[in-house]
Amino acid sequence: MKVLIVEDEIAIREALGRKLRRDGFEVVLSGDGLQGLRAFHAERPDLVILDIVMPGGMDGLTVCRRIREVADTPVMMLSAQAVTEEDVVDGLNAGADEYLIKPVRLNEFVARVQALLRRAQITVSDADQGYNDGYLSIDLHRRHVHVSGKRIHLTPTEFKLIAVLLENAGRVVNQRDLLEQVWGREYIDDVYYPRVYISQLRRKIEPDAANPIYILTEHRVGYRFEKQPPVVSKHE
Amino acid sequence: MSIPNTITLLLNGLTLALALGFLLIVLWQDIRKELNQFFAAFLFLVTLWNAGALLAQALSLVDRESPLVVIAISVMELGFTGSSVAAYALTAILVGTHSRRFQILAFASLLIVLGYQLFLIVNNRNLPIEITDDGSLTYRLQPISSIFYTIFSSATVYLIWRYRRKIRSRMLILGMTLFAAGQSLGFLNPELRALSISINISSIATLVTSFSILRQEFIVPLAERVTQVEAMHRVSLAISSQIAIDTVLSQITTQAAGWLDADAAGIFLNVGSELELATVSNLPERFVHSRVKLGQGIAGTVAKTHQSIRLENYRRQWRGEPDLPLADETFGSLICVPLIYGGDVIGVLMVVAGQQGRTFEREHVHLLELLGAQAAVAIAHSRLFAEQHELTRQVEAARSQLETLLLSTENPVVAVDRQFRLIFANPAATMLFSLGDDVKGMEITELVPRIALPTGYRNPLRDLRRNRVHVYEVSLEGKVYLCHLAALGRPRTMGWVAVLNDVTQLKELDRLKSEMVRMTSHDLKNPLQAAMAHLELLSDDVGRGDLSEVNITIDTIQKQLDRMNRIIGGILDLERVKSGTPTMELRSAAEMVEQTIEEMRHIAQERDVRLEAVVDTDSTFYADAEQFLRALVNLVENAIKFTADGGNVRVVVSRDEKEGIVIFKVEDDGIGIPEALQELVFDRFFRGGQRGQRGAEHVSGSGLGLNLVRMIVESHGGKVWLKSKEGEGTTFFITVPENGEFEQN
Repeated sequence: MKVLIVEDEIAIREALGRKLRRDGFEVVLSGDGLQGLRAFHAERPDLVILDIVMPGGMDGLTVCRRIREVADTPVMMLSAQAVTEEDVVDGLNAGADEYLIKPVRLNEFVARVQALLRRAQITVSDADQGYNDGYLSIDLHRRHVHVSGKRIHLTPTEFKLIAVLLENAGRVVNQRDLLEQVWGREYIDDVYYPRVYISQLRRKIEPDAANPIYILTEHRVGYRFEKQPPVVSKHE
Repeated sequence: MSIPNTITLLLNGLTLALALGFLLIVLWQDIRKELNQFFAAFLFLVTLWNAGALLAQALSLVDRESPLVVIAISVMELGFTGSSVAAYALTAILVGTHSRRFQILAFASLLIVLGYQLFLIVNNRNLPIEITDDGSLTYRLQPISSIFYTIFSSATVYLIWRYRRKIRSRMLILGMTLFAAGQSLGFLNPELRALSISINISSIATLVTSFSILRQEFIVPLAERVTQVEAMHRVSLAISSQIAIDTVLSQITTQAAGWLDADAAGIFLNVGSELELATVSNLPERFVHSRVKLGQGIAGTVAKTHQSIRLENYRRQWRGEPDLPLADETFGSLICVPLIYGGDVIGVLMVVAGQQGRTFEREHVHLLELLGAQAAVAIAHSRLFAEQHELTRQVEAARSQLETLLLSTENPVVAVDRQFRLIFANPAATMLFSLGDDVKGMEITELVPRIALPTGYRNPLRDLRRNRVHVYEVSLEGKVYLCHLAALGRPRTMGWVAVLNDVTQLKELDRLKSEMVRMTSHDLKNPLQAAMAHLELLSDDVGRGDLSEVNITIDTIQKQLDRMNRIIGGILDLERVKSGTPTMELRSAAEMVEQTIEEMRHIAQERDVRLEAVVDTDSTFYADAEQFLRALVNLVENAIKFTADGGNVRVVVSRDEKEGIVIFKVEDDGIGIPEALQELVFDRFFRGGQRGQRGAEHVSGSGLGLNLVRMIVESHGGKVWLKSKEGEGTTFFITVPENGEFEQN
């Protein structure tokens, strides 16, 4: 497993790198955003770890967005900048799968890295055929999602999320179950994660994100995926 | 028949006719009046007397022996006796000394005399009558009768003399005296009586008396009534044309006194539970403002009972407390009427005659009550007017205060009616929204930008209903306002008023606070993260027995901790400089620069930056060495940070003799500062390379450095500024007063 670390603080960069190498990861280090983006294209890492405040005119958020334009590679933000939940949401909205606030213990950091990688590798049983109603189609095996016939990119976390909801289509999945199934046991208390990702997901797949029809909120309980009657295209 | 007798007869006849005429007038005019009753009785008896005398004389001419003559003479005697008593009674009534006892006495006397006369007639005693040939009647009176007549005549004359002042008509005095004299002649001298002189004189006296009484009782009052109506008219005009209460009151008292021919008058006004003498006419001024309690004195009694009081003699009739000092000694007749308006007694009007003055009649009470009603209305009106005037003044004052407040406040204030049309905008609001002159009545939506209005109406209405105020934020012309919206008018809403509070500064403070927390968090967390990570690695290494990198790791941890210490020190320095006073000593400028270079040399070497000093002066200046050094070091550190490896940083010190200042320059050939940011770099928590800004992101710092520099320089009485061009470099300037010109304050 190859991990790219983009971090301007040399002391932190080195420490994280040493820890990951020690735990058996292959590590690529990078000192600023632009360099990091180049390294991403050159090295094709399985996971990217991004600092937010970095020199060189390209901060972590920009790097994340640029990565998201071309790949679904899991991205973990690691920042000292965040103070409020909105800062975290900003990061997640840029396409990150994970947002860790400094200082973080190395052991926890590694655990999160592993959880994130685990999440990216979905095992799908043969029974799961996915979903297709003419407007929205989800192919669980090929990890393809189409909206109105157009392929859209989902981050690994987003894909895992919709897969879990689809698996329980018509039933309410509560917050804890969602956190545990999508993110992992370590995340059980990060209750704002589902909210942010659900809204991301809605923006990508719902016809009108303000009035969702697929992913419905059960107030104070959780979320529910609702299958829609097939749309018959006028061309057919 | 002799001539005198003929004259007597004529006179008698005339008197008879006139007396009857007067009698009719009196009875027709007002039979209930006591004076009229007595006057009528008097006239009737005089008529009886005259008629008897006339009849007797006439009969005796026909037949001297006729028994009818005796009857006629008896009638004459009856009339004579009666009129004698009646004259006394009338006089008593006229002078006003009648009493119940007197009445009983008068009637008893009358009855005795009449009884005696009747006794004589019944016993058929021949009257001692002589009838002469020429028809004159002479007869002697019985001594008892004479005594009675004498008593009554003398009493009459005494009364007239005693109370001559009370009978104001001289003619009446003359008439009554003459009548008494005439009668006296009759019984004192039968000869004179025989010549009918007594009857004649009495007849004339009766005429005179009757005329006087008629004049006094009917003609004069009628004439008075005319003048009273006129006076009333005048008074009404005078009162109603006045507004000021003092003038009204003095008009009323003057008019009342003049009208009733009184000696003095005054008005008491009701002040709570007391009456206060407000105005006097012809009474000592020092009595004004003297007070009597409700129910005390005449005035108090009148005010309490709402009933008018008339006294003929204050001293004799009033037993309560005196209304005024010396009232007992000076007041004679008096009338006091309540001034009633809307069912309340607002005061009393008192009219007084002196002890030697006139006596007020009942009808004067009515007149005064009439005046009192007018006066009450006038007083009430002028009070209402005064109250309204005062109220208007207060309202006007409050309005002008409010207006001044609204006009002078820096907070924009706007009011609209229920149709959202502008009612009011103060100068601040006019400026903010660039309102013209004729904007009143225009819809608010046309006058102010949409962003200044609340979004939607449901939330504002709900807030107004619950909390009476709705608050929302408005950003206008680069400023942030909190707009407080409240309803106008209660209970029915007539409109709304909005007051805008400029909270730009508070917002900025809030931003600074958040920025500081964010920066401090960021600046401290990075080294913390590094130190923690390396500590974990270290403990891992030690656990595994791998000591190859221990020294490097410990060194890193040490550096990170130093960094944190420096950042915290920076924050504390700033607070210290801000709150403390510097300790000033005379310092050499060159020495300062050298120390700075010394301190920064190794950092410059690390970055391969060439650091040099150019000292062009031996100036000295007052400085807190530690602080000023800190400022210079900060600037140099900054310059090194923003300069690429291998660049140059120069510290130049010179003096401007003309200005008397020392000039420090810190020049670099680094990345420079964009023009837009040059103004901001001295602000607290500004840092080059904030998110989205290209530039010196690699520089870590607390964002406090330049702020600290400015604070220190200013505490030295100096100035700091910069010149910079992007890509070419930056020069910071510090100027401080040279050589002791700085005065420590």
